[in-house]
Amino acid sequence: MKKWIALALAAVLVVSLLAGCGAPAKKKIVVGLDDHFPPMGFRDDKNNIVGFDVDMAKEAAKRLGMEVEFKPIDWNSKEAELNGKRIDMLWNGLTITEKRKENILFSNAYMENKQIIVVAANSPLKTKASLAGKVVGVQDGSSSIEAVEKEAAVAKSFKELKKYPDNVAALMDLKAGRIDALVVDEIVGRYYIAKKAGEYAVLGENFGSEEYGVGLRKDDKDLHAKLQKVLDEMKKDGTSAKISQQWFGANIVK
Amino acid sequence: MDYILSLIGPMVEGTAVTLQMFFVTIVLSLPLGLGLAMARISRFAALSGAVGVYIWLMRGTPLMLQLLFVYYGLPFIPYAGVTLPEFPAAAVAFVLNYAAYFAEIFRAGIQSIERGQYEGAKVLGMTYPQTMRRIVLPQVIKRVLPPVSNETITLVKDTSLIYVLAMNDLLRVTRSIVQRDFDLTPFMVAAVFYLAMTFVLTWMFEKMEKRYAVYDE
Repeated sequence: MKKWIALALAAVLVVSLLAGCGAPAKKKIVVGLDDHFPPMGFRDDKNNIVGFDVDMAKEAAKRLGMEVEFKPIDWNSKEAELNGKRIDMLWNGLTITEKRKENILFSNAYMENKQIIVVAANSPLKTKASLAGKVVGVQDGSSSIEAVEKEAAVAKSFKELKKYPDNVAALMDLKAGRIDALVVDEIVGRYYIAKKAGEYAVLGENFGSEEYGVGLRKDDKDLHAKLQKVLDEMKKDGTSAKISQQWFGANIVK
Repeated sequence: MDYILSLIGPMVEGTAVTLQMFFVTIVLSLPLGLGLAMARISRFAALSGAVGVYIWLMRGTPLMLQLLFVYYGLPFIPYAGVTLPEFPAAAVAFVLNYAAYFAEIFRAGIQSIERGQYEGAKVLGMTYPQTMRRIVLPQVIKRVLPPVSNETITLVKDTSLIYVLAMNDLLRVTRSIVQRDFDLTPFMVAAVFYLAMTFVLTWMFEKMEKRYAVYDE
């Protein structure tokens, strides 16, 4: 009799193991980010990935009961990384745009952002109109490009729209005088300007405001629904505000 | 100074990635290159021709494009497609690319050995593989050391191309720090790291050249 019980138990064990293999419940989400994008996602002096979006993603994963892994990606290849299933989410100051919606399933917006115009502190440029005939820089693959191109008349008046691999390169070139202005996400731009007090100025005019969202694969509807629920909860119970307070000294979560 | 010291930790981590990429590529591409060189000078026109086309492809397209193809392109090839993680993908691209260059270096080395030596070895009753192993290749190694050392040093620096796969090699780690601190000092520190690596390589190749100088008359 004991033998039978042991056998039955063993069978149950094997079946449950096989079932476990057959339908693996997804326990880990891989978040893709450009780890060169302070203060949303970047490296601290111990080489760990940190940032506002990183803390948000960690909190969301905890509530989803999933492990989270942060994978640095090349920002120009974000759609390929997502659709190639190397990552499950883009969570890194990702602006919601019509063009990106063709390839990416967005969460609701969680933060607002402006496209500001940065010039050298001693620059005579004061308005968008004065940018006519000037060289303007942007980060390649960023939503700043779309924001600028949306205002076609202004964009056409530029001598050139120069695309840089990153914003620091563009800011250095701005200081060196190779470009006259830089269009950049306000959140990122202000982070850098604060580091070099007195060297840069922000114009009063900007290229409009936009919203950050989390990006998922188009067919990942299930995860999308769960994530949205968690994000709503985080906002409601004040957790998002707390994380925002830590990184920006104010609650700028939408 | 404290600032520079704070950079060392992350940069050493980056250097580890750079060195892994370097060693994997060298260890696999040198033998593959030798095999390709043998095939290239083979009597079988089909084999020699195929290797010729391979070398043309690998040397004729940018290494960065090959990297992007292996990483992003391969998963989308019907039936045969594979999705490689970033390190294996980068290793495949680097090994295939460097093997092509090494193949041409080895071919030049082999063909620089006079015909008379093959004839002499034949008179002594050696087979073709024996002649290669005992007579030709030891001399080839000596002759190809300078160009191989050239390629090897280039490889140390070429590994920085893996940034397109967002792998954190020395240069990409450095860039992240520059992005964070908005300061160019880390680039200088990275230059010192690269110089140290190439210094060790240069020194090793010099020693090897001295060792193989015994084949001089």
